[in-house]
Amino acid sequence: MVHQHFKLVSNYTVAENIVLGAEPTRRLIGLAGYVDMRPVNAAIAELSERYGLSVDPTSVIEDLPVSTQQRVEILKMLYREAEILIFDEPTAMLTPQEIGYLLDIIATLRDSGKTILLITHKLEEIKQVADRCAILNHGKLIATMEMATSSTADMARRMVGREVIFEIDKAPARPGPVVLDVRGLVVENEHKVDVARDVSFQIHAGEIFAVAGVAGSGQVELADAIAGLSPVKSGTIQLSGRDITTAAVRQRTIGGISYIPEDRQDVGLILDFPLADNLASKSYFKPPFSHRGILRPEEFASYADDLIERYDIRCSNGAATLTRSMSGGNQQKAIVAREVEQDACLMIFVQPTRGLDIGAILAIRRRILEERDRGRAVLLVSLELDEILALADTIGVMFAGQMIKVAAADTLTREEVGEYMMGVKQS
Amino acid sequence: MSGLNTIVINGLALALPLLIIAIGGIFSERSGIINLALEGLLGFGAFCGALFAYAAVTWHWFPANSLTPMYLSFVVAALGGAAFAVIHALLCVKLRANQVISGVVINILSLAATGFLTSQINMTVFGGPSSKFDLTVAPRYTVSLLAKIPIIGAAFARFYAFEVLIVVLVAIFWFILYRTRFGIHLRAAGDNPQALDAAGIEVTRVRFVAVLISGGLAGIGGMCFAYSIFGSFSSAVYAGYGFLAIAALIFGNWKIMPTLAACLLFGFAQSGANQLVLWLRMDSSVGDLAMIVPYALTLILLAFFSKHNRAPRSLGEIYDSSKR
Repeated sequence: MVHQHFKLVSNYTVAENIVLGAEPTRRLIGLAGYVDMRPVNAAIAELSERYGLSVDPTSVIEDLPVSTQQRVEILKMLYREAEILIFDEPTAMLTPQEIGYLLDIIATLRDSGKTILLITHKLEEIKQVADRCAILNHGKLIATMEMATSSTADMARRMVGREVIFEIDKAPARPGPVVLDVRGLVVENEHKVDVARDVSFQIHAGEIFAVAGVAGSGQVELADAIAGLSPVKSGTIQLSGRDITTAAVRQRTIGGISYIPEDRQDVGLILDFPLADNLASKSYFKPPFSHRGILRPEEFASYADDLIERYDIRCSNGAATLTRSMSGGNQQKAIVAREVEQDACLMIFVQPTRGLDIGAILAIRRRILEERDRGRAVLLVSLELDEILALADTIGVMFAGQMIKVAAADTLTREEVGEYMMGVKQS
Repeated sequence: MSGLNTIVINGLALALPLLIIAIGGIFSERSGIINLALEGLLGFGAFCGALFAYAAVTWHWFPANSLTPMYLSFVVAALGGAAFAVIHALLCVKLRANQVISGVVINILSLAATGFLTSQINMTVFGGPSSKFDLTVAPRYTVSLLAKIPIIGAAFARFYAFEVLIVVLVAIFWFILYRTRFGIHLRAAGDNPQALDAAGIEVTRVRFVAVLISGGLAGIGGMCFAYSIFGSFSSAVYAGYGFLAIAALIFGNWKIMPTLAACLLFGFAQSGANQLVLWLRMDSSVGDLAMIVPYALTLILLAFFSKHNRAPRSLGEIYDSSKR
């Protein structure tokens, strides 16, 4: 199994990592056994040569780029004579050239008699190397298909399959002036790879702009960049006509952005704080919560009681409830309450209903529509196509870091959106 | 004997015990367990060794003037240090306690426990009120032929037997750390324990053994001080050498050879400062100022070298096999 996160000792050589736990030893003057790497180095160099991996067994892991480290993981399995190789999203951290190289290697392995299991979101990779593919959707096996006889459009359709429908009433949008204007935005991830490339779009007041795309298409990084959580490499972001490309998070919050992050437990909340502190965590520095630099706990408590009442947050101990002890749905309600109360002109929702039960999902989707009807601009990022189709006024589809299609929601069918998401259809 | 020779002789007598303690620290920390307990471990090891040697001499287990009790006391000190390190290993490896707190508490515990036990044992067993076990200062040796070489020759003059022992031990433990399977597993445990676990090696076992080794080596180092600088065991043994060893291994970047250089620097700094006091005929009350030198040097070096340092990647991280 090649994991998404490598299990490598960073200050060891390639060969030392590969034989870790089964090091060959030699006897020194018939006494102490010492580790002799020379035969291993030779064997690994030979393996690397045979499968075209171009890995030097004596180089140290921390000096190697991610793509080479991944090939070390492959070598590790080959050295142990594995017959079945499992790759879990192997291309997630690679550049396009590196992906091409990896797929070539996978094909070489297949041709030399190995069995390969490739887990991926990306249809093009399957098209390039797979012989057969199985489609999973929400944990269910949808179909197993021979690649030679199936069309990509058909595969894309099956991948986006429909979930049980529950309708919400949605009034037509009444868009106002432009609130968010993003131009030519480029965002890098921590590996210095461009994950959002030249993205441009606008969101109007009273409009829900939904970003569709398979996981890892750059949509989360895009939302983080707009919220100020990750730096922008190039391009501009304007909020109500003001340039906020380099503004601090606090300035953006005051300027009118509220953000419901994807990871509610790590980014959204301080789990070991009481609910009241979390509800005020974006406004504690303003009156009435703070007076001449001194916090006023009684204001926190009464504010929290008010929000608990109005947003129906279920908690065992009122304002003093430890946030960690609350259910995921109620934690999400608390974040939504805090962010809605910001009275922001732009609200960003990233995967707002992930992991919630149907009741909580419906409540949050209704809330998103309400906020739109109150004249706010909404940026919704979701991996659930159903959610996007149920809520969006405008749909932007991201594929491989680019916004490849922006269109009014009622001009696109589910199948069309799916094809754009999979990169089958280009605009 | 010139002053320069004295600096080398006394410097080595301090630097080598410091090095063996620091290597103990390296074993623990390269396996991923912070070891601030070196001070307590060296003290407890010295206590066990000194108790053994004192009893052996008092009750005439060996012929008079025999050096056997001294040599055996180093073995006892190593066992005592390792036994005391079991506490740190249990807390940090098995029970996943905070490694900094465990280390600090073990230092305090060791100081209090040995102080109490020393007076009690003196009173009840040896029948005299005393807060220390008197030892002789170990004999010194000179290889007369080599000692005639200018400057370097001083390294072969008036050295203690334990200095030879330490040089041998350093070679053995260097080999273990860098050339054996156990050493490879130990260093992997401090960098990426998950990778080691995935390779089928039990991380907790490797770390447990590493902490025991650090206790044993610290105990030997403590015994050296009891037989040289102090000539006895008492709470004076807790003079901060354990912490100086930690500073040395950090300057040495958790590697044995650079740590040797750091220990030599500290040793020569102290013996040089002492010699300076003599030359300048300073008053003894002012002379104590010389004791500050190694520690002041530590602070200055910290300011310059810290940014080039790279600790083992998983140092201080509690290993949880379910976490990825």
